[in-house]
Amino acid sequence: MNEKTRTQVGGPQDPREGLEAVVALRRLLEALEAAQVENAFIAGWSWAQIAEVLGVSKQAVHKKHARRIKDRYPRQPPRKKGRGA
Amino acid sequence: MFNRFTDKSRKSVQAAFEEARMLGHDSVGDEDLLLGILRVEEGVAAEALSSLGVTLEDAREESEEMLSDALSSIGISLEEIRREAGDAFEMRIPTHRRLPLSPRAKNVLVGARKEMRRLGDNYLGTEHVLLGILHNEDGTAVRIMASMGVATEALEDRLYQLRRRAAG
Repeated sequence: MNEKTRTQVGGPQDPREGLEAVVALRRLLEALEAAQVENAFIAGWSWAQIAEVLGVSKQAVHKKHARRIKDRYPRQPPRKKGRGA
Repeated sequence: MFNRFTDKSRKSVQAAFEEARMLGHDSVGDEDLLLGILRVEEGVAAEALSSLGVTLEDAREESEEMLSDALSSIGISLEEIRREAGDAFEMRIPTHRRLPLSPRAKNVLVGARKEMRRLGDNYLGTEHVLLGILHNEDGTAVRIMASMGVATEALEDRLYQLRRRAAG
């Protein structure tokens, strides 16, 4: 089997299929991160706690998720650092 | 970029951004331009599509199926993940995040302008956008239509037929 037969279009190792799987995974990752951050928020976790587990800065997680979560839960009071969980 | 666009084609492109956002597409793809045309339901392109039985719901479904197929190809079940993550899980991209046009979608709009010139028109309507989509043979929109059983040639013929009718 040479290289060309291994990567022919439609084959199991078709590069297009592989690349499209990466795109799909990236979209899934974004949706999943948003959902899990929201779940943590509802469970009473602070931004600092969420950020710590995600391994990113509090600012980063706040910038990416706070607006969407506030739109969805307008009446939730802002949480103090260290509370919950 | 939107010079000479008609109200309908402009609205269709705007609707494409909404469709992309709803489906979790991090850029507006050529398939979203197709969905935009279907969503606005105005203009020659929408008429040609609906006369061949292409509906917004079916096209959206095909697009979502492509996502779940791509994930199963690497052993991931979208359904399972959706179940595990609960109610908070949604593919929709938050409103404050801006979506760019994908290179393919840009190509489609460049192609649409070429179609406008080729046909000697002085406006850029939904039919030119649809022709741009159809001539982008590697695009996702063409694949979506193929899996819905719509031949691009038949759709193109219908477009010209509707144009002639409108002109005559």
